[in-house]
Amino acid sequence: MYSEIKNRFATSDVEVKRDDLAKVVVDRHRLFDLISMLGREYGYITLSAITCTDWIEDDHFVLSYMLVREDRKHNMMIQSMIGRDEPHIESLVGSFKQAQIMERDLHEMYGIDFVGNDNLVELSLENWIYTPPLRREFDTLEFVNNHLTFRDGRDDNMDVKKEMKRLRALKKAQKEAAKKAKEESSDVKQ
Amino acid sequence: MQEGFLREQRVLESDLSSDGSHKNSIDFLIDWFRKRSIFVLSYGTGCGAIEMPPTFTSRYDAERLGIRGAATPRQADVIIVSGYCSYKTLRRIIRTYEQMSNPKYILALGSCTINGGMYWDSYNTIKKLEDYLPVDIYVNGCMPRPESILEGFIALQRDIGNGKASSWQKYQENYEFYRKNQEAVLGEKIAPAYDANWYLYDGGL
Repeated sequence: MYSEIKNRFATSDVEVKRDDLAKVVVDRHRLFDLISMLGREYGYITLSAITCTDWIEDDHFVLSYMLVREDRKHNMMIQSMIGRDEPHIESLVGSFKQAQIMERDLHEMYGIDFVGNDNLVELSLENWIYTPPLRREFDTLEFVNNHLTFRDGRDDNMDVKKEMKRLRALKKAQKEAAKKAKEESSDVKQ
Repeated sequence: MQEGFLREQRVLESDLSSDGSHKNSIDFLIDWFRKRSIFVLSYGTGCGAIEMPPTFTSRYDAERLGIRGAATPRQADVIIVSGYCSYKTLRRIIRTYEQMSNPKYILALGSCTINGGMYWDSYNTIKKLEDYLPVDIYVNGCMPRPESILEGFIALQRDIGNGKASSWQKYQENYEFYRKNQEAVLGEKIAPAYDANWYLYDGGL
């Protein structure tokens, strides 16, 4: 199977990760040919997940499609790269109905446009007008500081490091004083 | 009468008597009725909702204190905001709260409603509930056990009995303040849509 994939889809990147998992990297234009071929000829009929990885340094997203064979004993991970600027790829809704919600999720979190999916409405972020939050250029802490207010700390709020240092010094001094007192009392006895 | 639930109940209720600040006996009576029949909306946000079933069922039995569930917002007196509150949930909470009839009270559970808790740096979770809705009682903890929730309810009952729990009046008087804060995070259109397009698209109905 792997040699056929290599020949037909002009990819050398086929890696057997485990007994039940193999990874194939293909060109984005051959992706759906490969998925349909695997389903037709080798029985990978279930799409279990679509995930996205943001490689901001290399300026691309890697989409991973997880396919499961019909006997549930082997998984195939098919990866494909798409550009980060205006990312778009064909939708898989035609062949797998469950891709609908996965694509909606990726559209919301990374801003990827799935061509052919006509219901890419937001899933949990309503009226979100900012950068999609799972893209790595989105700075969560900066966003929170700009948009939300925090409660001020307690009035008796103390610096933990300083306070621990003070308490430790206090404890040490007490210990030494006790030791000294003990020594003095033993001196008196002698 | 010396041990178990009855004793616990006496301890809990020992400081529930009125402080005598009422102007007349009608006010006193109304507040007494209100504090003894608290209907809590069956609505949970976030993980704290898991502590509500034991509070209201036989183990902790909140009904012995006059606290029981209500099915719809229009029949409820108290809404419990139980745990972290994302923007999407906040829209629903605001709509639900505005549907409730006066007098209405908010009990906020958990550190997430107080200062964000473990979601302090989340882009999608509000940090201070009192900026968006008037809160009567905060119960801290992550999560507060049913005992803490009951204590929070007793504190709320004490405030109601003394006529001091007036967050709903505060909401009416300072509506501009709350609305401004709500719009700052939720945008102009705060109320969620009633349609079910998402469901139709996914092959439902």
